[in-house]
Amino acid sequence: MSDTLLHRLRRLNHGVALATGILLMACAALVLLDIVLRQLGSSFGGTDEISGYVMAIATSWGMAFTLLELGHVRIDILRGRAGRLGRALFDLFAMLTLTGTVTLIAYKCWPVVERSLANTSRANTPLETPLAWVQIPWFAGWIWFAVMAWLTFIAAARLILQGRLAEAEGAIGCFGEEEQAS
Amino acid sequence: MILALSIGLLGLLALSIPVGIVLFLLGFGMDTFFSAFPLIRGLGNLVWSTSNNATLIAIPFFVLLGEILVRSGIATRTYAALDRWVSWLPGGLVHANVATATMFSATSGSSVATAATVATVAMPQAEKLGYDPRLFSGAIAAGGTLGIMIPPSINLIVYGFLTQTSIPQLFLAGLVPGIALALGFMAITAVICLIRPELGGTRRTFPLAEMLRALIQLVPIILLFTIIIGTIYNGWATPTEAAAVGVMGAIVIAALFGGVSIRMFAESLLGTVKITSMIMLVVIGASFLNFTLASAGLGRELQALLDGLGLTPTGLILVVVLIYIVLGFFIETLSLMVVTIPIIVPLVVAQGFDPIWFGILMIVLIEMALITPPVGLNLYVVQGARKSGKMSEVMVGAIPYVIAMLLMVGLLILFPGIALYLPSVLGGG
Repeated sequence: MSDTLLHRLRRLNHGVALATGILLMACAALVLLDIVLRQLGSSFGGTDEISGYVMAIATSWGMAFTLLELGHVRIDILRGRAGRLGRALFDLFAMLTLTGTVTLIAYKCWPVVERSLANTSRANTPLETPLAWVQIPWFAGWIWFAVMAWLTFIAAARLILQGRLAEAEGAIGCFGEEEQAS
Repeated sequence: MILALSIGLLGLLALSIPVGIVLFLLGFGMDTFFSAFPLIRGLGNLVWSTSNNATLIAIPFFVLLGEILVRSGIATRTYAALDRWVSWLPGGLVHANVATATMFSATSGSSVATAATVATVAMPQAEKLGYDPRLFSGAIAAGGTLGIMIPPSINLIVYGFLTQTSIPQLFLAGLVPGIALALGFMAITAVICLIRPELGGTRRTFPLAEMLRALIQLVPIILLFTIIIGTIYNGWATPTEAAAVGVMGAIVIAALFGGVSIRMFAESLLGTVKITSMIMLVVIGASFLNFTLASAGLGRELQALLDGLGLTPTGLILVVVLIYIVLGFFIETLSLMVVTIPIIVPLVVAQGFDPIWFGILMIVLIEMALITPPVGLNLYVVQGARKSGKMSEVMVGAIPYVIAMLLMVGLLILFPGIALYLPSVLGGG
């Protein structure tokens, strides 16, 4: 069951990451258009502001994909010397601290959104963007990361309890397959 | 506080907790034990203001640019072309390794990507032409490190962001030391192969016509570099905007010279998202730690410690260099940079050193960390691409290049102008 869950999480986040990548591409295109327009003497202005929002949203939504691809850097110095069970315990402990920390971050991000909603705050910029419009998707990304981290943690813990250590290492180990291959 | 911080940092890292998370945990620790106010209330705002940032979007853009160039096969063609031009030197194809890495550094911001690319295209040639596997693979690992020195560089963007230093000036400052290092690598290779010709494989010369034809393959990369750097220093675009121009340029080049497919494109986007989130978790963690350290009064305590030690400014720099060399055995590039910036940069700047100069010095030291065992990411990347032979061969092969880097560190300390001359003449905001 755990492996199907992990498989689903991976596929789901693959899709999310692709959408995030497309968002970044679109932003690059927008910036380019703005540069060209500026050379021609006009500009829509506010590209900087939009880039900032895109970065915030792309960052929070990409986190879970990176987690599942084992992309968040860890120092392998003691872990690499441990046996298979030792490595599994290192991985599970690291996963637990990550999950706890990310949950706390997501929780602490809510007051930011709450304030923007309560005051109907607008950015102090030419676009006067209502901040909640961009902060809600950003906040949702952190919630997504926290939920994905919990699900991954639970799935990996089950695998370890069942003694399927190799599979657990594939789910929460130190290096992704890609890095080992390339 | 400093002791608790250092022990906490090394201890948590050794537990193999993700680096970004370690930085947050240290921040929580600072807040709990050393701060008069509950700083954690500011966490949400800090996460928002760090990631809502138009400067940092240059990171995904530069990563994407590199991914597109690598995956569209431009790298392979560049390597073949450079082979035509440099293989007459003693050491032959080894120079092509360094030269290709240098050219890719000029367009991509990442060392590992550069090393991986060159390793994949170069390795099959090594056995065929009878090169010594140690020198050959060592040169790739070392050449790849230039990616973070020669602009555009993601590491310099992160440094500029965390220390409030001008990114265009950092880029300018990295140019001369980067090229000097590349030439240094080639010089060392030539010297080694003159002394022991059997290491260097066959020297080959190519007819002039073929060399000229090969030149066409280099045009896209040179063009792209010129566009990126040119738009920044003409004042047309900020580094972020130049990165966006670079992405579009890479797509056009890939379409004209290489292969573009939906699959290749999707892979490039996925790779970009993965690397960007990895970097951003570390950067946000570092900003939070920075914030708690400043509030807890780390600066005063460090100053007091330093006064107690009675170090001269030069003494301080030497101690700092030593710290980086030692930490560099165990910790890698971005992590090493980000965990040390909040502590070391204020200290160095307070002694009257130029933050731009120090940024470049730090980059050389971090490049060294990439190719010093036991933890040296580029060594593993190159070993991964070899598929045979021992890891220790790559490590031995990298030693001459570590020496070149140490020389560079010495030169930068003796002659800061190597880094600072260009920014002082050209300005660049």
